[in-house]
Amino acid sequence: MKRGTRNILRVSIIVTVAVLIGITLWFNLTSDNKTVAVGDEAVDFQLTTMSGEEIRLSELNDDGKGVILNFWGTWCKPCREEMPDMNDIYTSDNNDEYEIVAVNVAENEQQINQFISGLDADLEFPIALDESRDVTEAYSIGPLPTTIAVNKDGTVVKKQEYQLTHEDILAFIEDATE
Amino acid sequence: MMELKEIKCESCGHVNQPGTQLCQSCGKMINSDYDRKKIKDLMRYDGSAVRSKVRSKSIFDKIWIFFTSIKIGVMIILAIAVAAAIGTIFPQEYFIPLGVDPADYYQENYGTLGYLYYSLGFHNLYSSWWFVLLNGMLALSIIAASIDRGVPLFKSLKNQRAKKHESFYRRQRLFMHEKDNGNADEVISQLKDKRYKARRDGDNYLLEKGKLSRWGPYINHTGLIILLIGSMLRFFPGMYVDEIVYLNEGETKDLPTTDGQYYVKNDGFILDTHGESSGEVFEESLNQGNNIVSNFQTDISVYENESSDVVGAEPELTKIDDYSIRVNHPYRFGSYELYQSSYDDSQMKAMTFSLEDADGNTVGENFTVNLDDPDQSYQIDENTEIKMRAYAPDFQEIDDNGTLVSETPVPRNPAFVFEVNAGGDSELSLLQIMNSTDITQNNDYSIRFVEAEQHTASVLTLKKDHTIPLVAGGFVIFLAGVFIGSYINHRRIWISLEDGFTLAGHTNKNYFGMKKELDTILEANSFSPVSERQEIEDKAKDKES
Repeated sequence: MKRGTRNILRVSIIVTVAVLIGITLWFNLTSDNKTVAVGDEAVDFQLTTMSGEEIRLSELNDDGKGVILNFWGTWCKPCREEMPDMNDIYTSDNNDEYEIVAVNVAENEQQINQFISGLDADLEFPIALDESRDVTEAYSIGPLPTTIAVNKDGTVVKKQEYQLTHEDILAFIEDATE
Repeated sequence: MMELKEIKCESCGHVNQPGTQLCQSCGKMINSDYDRKKIKDLMRYDGSAVRSKVRSKSIFDKIWIFFTSIKIGVMIILAIAVAAAIGTIFPQEYFIPLGVDPADYYQENYGTLGYLYYSLGFHNLYSSWWFVLLNGMLALSIIAASIDRGVPLFKSLKNQRAKKHESFYRRQRLFMHEKDNGNADEVISQLKDKRYKARRDGDNYLLEKGKLSRWGPYINHTGLIILLIGSMLRFFPGMYVDEIVYLNEGETKDLPTTDGQYYVKNDGFILDTHGESSGEVFEESLNQGNNIVSNFQTDISVYENESSDVVGAEPELTKIDDYSIRVNHPYRFGSYELYQSSYDDSQMKAMTFSLEDADGNTVGENFTVNLDDPDQSYQIDENTEIKMRAYAPDFQEIDDNGTLVSETPVPRNPAFVFEVNAGGDSELSLLQIMNSTDITQNNDYSIRFVEAEQHTASVLTLKKDHTIPLVAGGFVIFLAGVFIGSYINHRRIWISLEDGFTLAGHTNKNYFGMKKELDTILEANSFSPVSERQEIEDKAKDKES
């Protein structure tokens, strides 16, 4: 074999094996955690709310609204604690540039009603029911609460995996409406 | 590094690659260091130089040379073997209970070692990045070593000439020389009958058989590479699926990895045991233990989603099939298979209560609370209604505002506040599994727990594997290579009639068999048997000592 042929063979084999290892590792790492990150396009979804209406992310975006998705459960303490704060802010401004959608993760209506009736004020924003966890899984939600801000263009602009403070909520609204 | 030059053989004039030890053409020793190194089988360096040993220049050459090393290859194999062995010390992640956080599980069950095991990725050994990397390195090592040794071997076996230098004959392990040519032609023709292929160059003969044996290692390396490609493809999307589908009786779920196209409903899980008097052959042994299961079965309905809808929206399902999945009788559709894997009856589904009055008499009918989706009120007779005021699936505490707080959404430790409305009066009581407390004073009624019902969930495994042909094919080729390399002998016999009758024999294995084969033919033609170099050397050693 000529030296040139030999070099081409060596380089191409080493590069091929290295590239294949790289691709395999990339598939391996990305298959485990397809977590939604800031900058990703938000997955469109449609859910039924507590009041029986259908709510769809892309329609809210089409109306020119940014959307704050708050994944929560009645059994989760920080979720319960941030809920009244969100409601206060939501009701105190005119909220026509954004929508808060509180996505309940796979709980029955009795539990949600029981939780709402224990609050001082009614929740004004829609509570969407993700009974099958399809949306929760599509967004790879880990711990509750997880809050995601989606801007008008349908892009994820902010994400937080722990309880929101009053300032956090304002920051989410600002990012979603920017 | 010193620039090595091509070497011209003094004897036959053949130009050899730098680093060659024996002339490729006539077999004369070129490298004078050769004898000093005391290599047992000098034919090991038959052929041109092992190429990686020759030159080292670019970074690619350095990588290449690193991976051609047998030492490195063995170390990679050892590392894989050791890692695989460690991976069996604690269970792999897919063997730990469903829905448990692996980080907690390994720490709790196996302590610090378990934590280390988890953090180093041993709990998911076969897909941990370093295990994948090791296998990739193994592949490179196999390919590099095969090419580095296979190409020169191919050349040397292809370019063989029948005429060899006299010293080459004397160096072979099997050797004999007689002054008289005798029945040489008869020997050659009898060897041909033994399926030796003959090549002739004047009065020089080369008889050869079983050359395929030399390709055995390369064939089995090819098999290994195909096998490694197969296992690599398992990581590629769409090639391999192994998912657990947990279905409660009556529940409908979409099958993972089908993008919401297929849904399966659990119509019922059946667990049959061998009856006591089944009258079967194994009756005696069956009766020793109790309840030996004879059948695990899940009846399923399969649906296809007509609307390729947005996530979360109610699917439009059309039933496409019915099937009873039993062990070893999976439901097959497309390239998927749905297997019966196990079942779970530990999750609580419903609790039944009865109401007793102050005298201990039962009032009305029993009422059952569905723990997943409880009703708000239960009418147990004409004038008695029980309202569920609060429910916590996994009771933790009573909150400041009087509501029940649940630790998780799973009904593990349900607690209820019931309001009994009978004849205009109402009473409140808190019920937990183990105790009940009156909330209002001097309650007349008490609610008694009657029974609990469990969910019966079937656990199915969804499988798809497009890599089976590669993995199985790789194994078959691997075994064929091992067989060829182990059981076929590459035997070569050189005969020269130029100066009497000179014969030398070489084989890559089983000298005993070759010697026997040669001696039978030689003796039948009145030649003396071959002498074995090994024996001569051993005798010489004996004399010395």
